[in-house]
Amino acid sequence: MYLWILDLLADVRTSGPVGSSWLEVTDVNHETTSGKPCILDTEEATSRVYRRQDEVTLLRASLDGETAAWGEIVTRYKDAVFGLCLGFLRNRADAEDIAQDAFVRAYVNLRRYNLEKKFSTWLFTIAANLCRNRLRYRRNHPVVEPPDSIPGGGDPAVTIAREDRQAKIKAALSRLPYSYRAPLVLRFYNDLPYRDIGDILGIPEGTVKTRIHRGKALLKDLMEQGSDS
Amino acid sequence: MMKNHDLEDVLRDALRHEVAQELPQIGALEERVVEMLGDRSPRRGLIDHMRQMIAPTRGGRLGQMVVVGATAAAFLMVGLFLSDRGLPLADPSVGASGLATRSNQEVLFVVPAPEAVSVAVVGDFSNWEAVPLADDNSDGIWTASIPLSPGRYEYAFLIDGLWRGQDLLADEHVENYGQFTSVRYVSGGDGA
Repeated sequence: MYLWILDLLADVRTSGPVGSSWLEVTDVNHETTSGKPCILDTEEATSRVYRRQDEVTLLRASLDGETAAWGEIVTRYKDAVFGLCLGFLRNRADAEDIAQDAFVRAYVNLRRYNLEKKFSTWLFTIAANLCRNRLRYRRNHPVVEPPDSIPGGGDPAVTIAREDRQAKIKAALSRLPYSYRAPLVLRFYNDLPYRDIGDILGIPEGTVKTRIHRGKALLKDLMEQGSDS
Repeated sequence: MMKNHDLEDVLRDALRHEVAQELPQIGALEERVVEMLGDRSPRRGLIDHMRQMIAPTRGGRLGQMVVVGATAAAFLMVGLFLSDRGLPLADPSVGASGLATRSNQEVLFVVPAPEAVSVAVVGDFSNWEAVPLADDNSDGIWTASIPLSPGRYEYAFLIDGLWRGQDLLADEHVENYGQFTSVRYVSGGDGA
């Protein structure tokens, strides 16, 4: 219940600066139209308008059922969400599946989002939970093909030291336990602070620091093991 | 031997490189998402219906004030009512573990975990997001009270990030993705 109230209060607070009022969205000409965000002829024109909107406006339009506005949100966050899923799951097909599911679920449950919090953190939490479920499912329903389907370094003839190290670290990351891999991905791919990582994974900030520290040590070990064999 | 900041840089590069390599292959994600959504709107809640009823078509300011005022008044009354009844949160009829339903569908989640640093409940009611439980008096009993409308809910506890899917007082346990989750049926009216 309190989420609705916060949402409502946030509505009141943000309606001023955003320039629109109460479930109304400002269009490019700064004319407000109740109910509909703006009246334009084609979908293309609509998406062009959305490209210029700020996030709160896009979320508000999405709440009104404007799926095109949500499309723009997907465009803005797909790199972050897909990268998170790929890092967590180490498999493109799964990452694609889960990233898509995360965006659909976030839209359907958009009213649960508390405007006082960062939207990205909320979205990443949904994606992280879906990844965890998928991994749990995968552990209990092992597939015949190896889970590590991300090509390591590509062409073996390419032995530039940098690419070689990248390939090794990717392979090592796939072997790292999820509880260490997840915070590492959020830290070094999504560039998030410890506190946000803790919120997303549902663990205390101190645990995040420990896991990142130990995760790096484990990763180094795994890389060295990889080069021995 | 690789230095620590070297490792971070390589990891960062590797993750970015991986996404740059794989993302173009999955095509237009936004188009697929929008297509999947069709004409769906985000789920509506009670407040939204209130908004629609109260908010005038122009100059919604007054409508906002009314809704905020009415909600605040409603909360105040519920608060007074509860304090009159002597804080039902301390109700001794609630079991040592599990959850108890109340007539107003306020569902109490209780977990005994004296060693835990953090306890949370995740469930379909929160889109599997962690809702933290609190242990204000440090007696090792963690609680959270979540208002739920009548229905069937799947949930599990996260104790220090570890999944605990079999709540002793759940109505049933089901296996989901190979792991147990608890199920609770919240009924309407007084017959919790």
